[in-house]
Amino acid sequence: MFDWVHQVPILSIVCYVPLIGSLFVIFFMKEANAASIKKFATGVVTLDFMVSLPLWFEFDPQGELFQFRESFSWIESLGVRYEFGIDGIALLLVLLTTLLGPIAFLSSWSAIKERQKEYYVFMLMLQTGMMGVFMAMDFFLFYVFWEVMLLPMYFLIGVWGGPRKLYAAIKFFLYTLVGSVLMLLGILALYFYNSSGLFGYGGLGNPKTFSITQFHEIGAGLPPDLQFWIFLAFFVGFAIKVPMFPFHTWLPDAHVEAPTAGSVILAGVLLKMGTYGFVRFSLPILPQATWELLPWMVGLSIIGIVYGGLVAMAQKDMKKLVAYSSVSHLGFVMLGMFALNSAGLNGSILQMINHGLSTGALFLLVGVIYERRHTRLIADYGGISAKMPAFATIFLIITMASIGLPTLNGFVGEFTILVGAFDRVWWWAVWGAVGIVLGAAYMLWMYQRVFFGPITNPDNENLEDLNGRELLYLMPLVILCFWIGLYPKPFFKIIEKPVDYIVGIVDAAQPAGMALADEAESLHATDEEAGH
Amino acid sequence: MIDPQEFWLLAPEIFLAVAAMLLLVAGSIGRGVRNRPAAAVALMSLVVTALLVLWAQGEAGGPEAFLGGMFILDPYSIFVKLLLLIATGLTVAISGRFLEEGGYRPGEYYSLVLFATTGMLFMASGYSLLSIWIALELMALSSYILAGYFKREGKSVEAALKYFILGALSSGILLYGISLLYGATGTVQIGELAARLPDLVGQGEAGILIGLGWLLLAIGLFFKVAAAPFHVWTPDVYVGAPTPITAYLASASKVASFAILIRIFYEALPALDADWQLVTALVACLSMIWGNLAALTQTNVKRMLAYSSIGHAGYVLIGVLCATEDGLWAVLFYLLAYTFITLGAFGTVIILEQREYAGETYSDYAGLARRAPALAAAMLIFMVALTGIPPTGGFFGKIYLFAAAVEAGWIWVAVVGVLTSAISLFFYFGIVVQMYLKPSDDTTPKPIMAPGLVTAITVCAVITVLLGLFPGPVVELAKASLLPLP
Repeated sequence: MFDWVHQVPILSIVCYVPLIGSLFVIFFMKEANAASIKKFATGVVTLDFMVSLPLWFEFDPQGELFQFRESFSWIESLGVRYEFGIDGIALLLVLLTTLLGPIAFLSSWSAIKERQKEYYVFMLMLQTGMMGVFMAMDFFLFYVFWEVMLLPMYFLIGVWGGPRKLYAAIKFFLYTLVGSVLMLLGILALYFYNSSGLFGYGGLGNPKTFSITQFHEIGAGLPPDLQFWIFLAFFVGFAIKVPMFPFHTWLPDAHVEAPTAGSVILAGVLLKMGTYGFVRFSLPILPQATWELLPWMVGLSIIGIVYGGLVAMAQKDMKKLVAYSSVSHLGFVMLGMFALNSAGLNGSILQMINHGLSTGALFLLVGVIYERRHTRLIADYGGISAKMPAFATIFLIITMASIGLPTLNGFVGEFTILVGAFDRVWWWAVWGAVGIVLGAAYMLWMYQRVFFGPITNPDNENLEDLNGRELLYLMPLVILCFWIGLYPKPFFKIIEKPVDYIVGIVDAAQPAGMALADEAESLHATDEEAGH
Repeated sequence: MIDPQEFWLLAPEIFLAVAAMLLLVAGSIGRGVRNRPAAAVALMSLVVTALLVLWAQGEAGGPEAFLGGMFILDPYSIFVKLLLLIATGLTVAISGRFLEEGGYRPGEYYSLVLFATTGMLFMASGYSLLSIWIALELMALSSYILAGYFKREGKSVEAALKYFILGALSSGILLYGISLLYGATGTVQIGELAARLPDLVGQGEAGILIGLGWLLLAIGLFFKVAAAPFHVWTPDVYVGAPTPITAYLASASKVASFAILIRIFYEALPALDADWQLVTALVACLSMIWGNLAALTQTNVKRMLAYSSIGHAGYVLIGVLCATEDGLWAVLFYLLAYTFITLGAFGTVIILEQREYAGETYSDYAGLARRAPALAAAMLIFMVALTGIPPTGGFFGKIYLFAAAVEAGWIWVAVVGVLTSAISLFFYFGIVVQMYLKPSDDTTPKPIMAPGLVTAITVCAVITVLLGLFPGPVVELAKASLLPLP
């Protein structure tokens, strides 16, 4: 149906449409004309979403691991190539990005009142940066996108954020930068080991390259101590982004201070860059170190789950609550990943998408009510379901999705993760279950305090329900939550091959003495459960 | 015997010196020349000198030392010379406003700049410790005067005096080191030194002399490139000097000093490499840490840039200490990128300066994005580049240096480098915060856009971004300009 996508550099097109749009806005549109800027910018990302849709249909789950590849020489002296390509994991994340684009833009129409031109320029640039991260098949190119994307996000938090925006913006930037420069050293070590040689380790003498597939091939053969150090370097970069406990402290600040659309993008996509980094680099390139550090990784994930949940419970501010719930949910994603079997990894990847959808929606919903009342304190509300029935309904659905009610997406992801974790070490799953209980507690408690009971605050008497535009950008998320909840098979199918590939590499490096899990059976169980 | 024909190979330097003298004379007759024509003459002579540099290279035919082994024309010196001429040209372009407003004599000013540049060109070609030292003095003496060019300002005079006293001290140390080396080996010619040293290192008295001579030489050179702990003169001089001169000192002067540092370490004293690598590593780390930490607390932008230039000297030293090809071309690339970035940043500072020293604090940048969006965007590019974030030349400069360090096994130095780069985000983005995130004070006057300044800043910004997107050609150029390795 969409054969043409194989004839054109489709990934570059999808990646750069927003950038071109932003350049157009910079040079040809005037600040005074804000109304047309926001329409134009939203049009650009919507177009980009349309252009990215054929990827879903034309991606062949049985085909090669990486598809739609593009490759050009970029910096010959270092062997850096401009190389794009996506596997199933990247495909889902790219589509998540292009989908959240128009939604976030639409939600900004009324929320952003000042310096609109700059706002939409930065938002558009951010889209390009994020997609580049997921598409890059050259580690250097990946790093460039990874860093470039920090700038627009910094401005989005710093200019349009809340009262403590300056602090939050620089904290976000600094944390991520420290992580990424250490990651860079890890990349360089890998690069020299592959080519001319790293001092003290010798080298493999391959041509200079940052190609990710090449690193996948040589990774398992790395000397164990080198793997260990590179893993740590990557870990700092990715764990800060995820964020894993104890590197999470930037996240509540950034989330709370960012404008709604910024939070949506931050929670929906940016955090996934960290988990994506683990899946794409740490696991397949450094499998032995992964096994070696497994207790630490899992330990931190579990602490994140429980700690995030407990802190979320204590929040008075809705946005902060959602922010801490992200720490907990991302801990879940990491737990599934470090179960290191296909169930865990499948669940982990699906949960990345789920978290993007439901947490993105939660931030949007909080933004909707914030725009009306200019407060996010739970105590300022109460009983508003009577005034805003549609809002209350959608909020309920998303809350359920977030706490993992069956028929909704969160259930599928969390259940699959628990299966994987149980399969590896049973009590890991117990901690996961504790996280689910905590999640239900803080989400439902918040819902109850905000929506039920009598209206105690007279300011809430005249709240207006959702308008058409708000419904328009919330509905796709609701639909997707149901879709993944009811029929996740296509999603699992798309990520099946990359998951098998990663599990294969990791399994091969499993040190003797670790119990071998029965992968096939657990995956089978997952499919059955998920299919209901 | 010296072949008189060989003097032709010095045509660029001789021409530039003559041009400087003519400008000096023209500037002191009667009321002197006005700024525009004087700047035009200076720029023209720089262009002609650049052409002569290229011509002389063709004429020389190969990297043979000439004039009794005093000078050399190798690809390395050509690269450095062209970079110096570009930096000087940009300095001339950003100097106009300060001369016109202060009512200083442009002829005299530009001739001093050209004299300093002549010294730098000689430094790049110098192949004997003595010819290098004399060239260095020519540069330094001109710079001392230029640093004090705000004759009516106490700060400027203070800067000149400090620069002069400490500069003279370091020149003395340098010369003493040279004399010790001469005492031990009986030569100051770099090629002969390199040939004689291996037999003498660690051999009795001569060995001690060489060790001591090397140490003094290193201290003098670290002093000139403003590396910690020999940096104390830098902040005061950078702040007190007229800003175009600060830019000149931070770019051209630094490039020339690094050029001789590398020449001497690599070509004259390779026999000592294990020792100097470790010492250089320590100096590099100290510079990066001290430069970046001290910059954190500054409220004056010029002072912040001064400390940051100490930090950047540390980054360049990372490449120097690797003593590998990758390290060396990374240094050349970095110097080139840094020259444009620094000149651009100081150019922006000049635009915002109002009267003498006003307009230099962070808060003077408040709301610049609203008052002058293009200028703010340019400054944003420079700050991003100084931090080392893509897509800018500063990013690739740092990447290449860190890559060379990792490859050569100096991983702990690279770790210090990346962490201090992350710290530097704080103070560079302090300016960005002011420009983009703080509201403008309505009483702040609109920045004055002089055409020369605007052109220079535009050129610097465009090249900074281009280097970040397509670093390839410059890398190739740098790779073709390497010195023989120790």
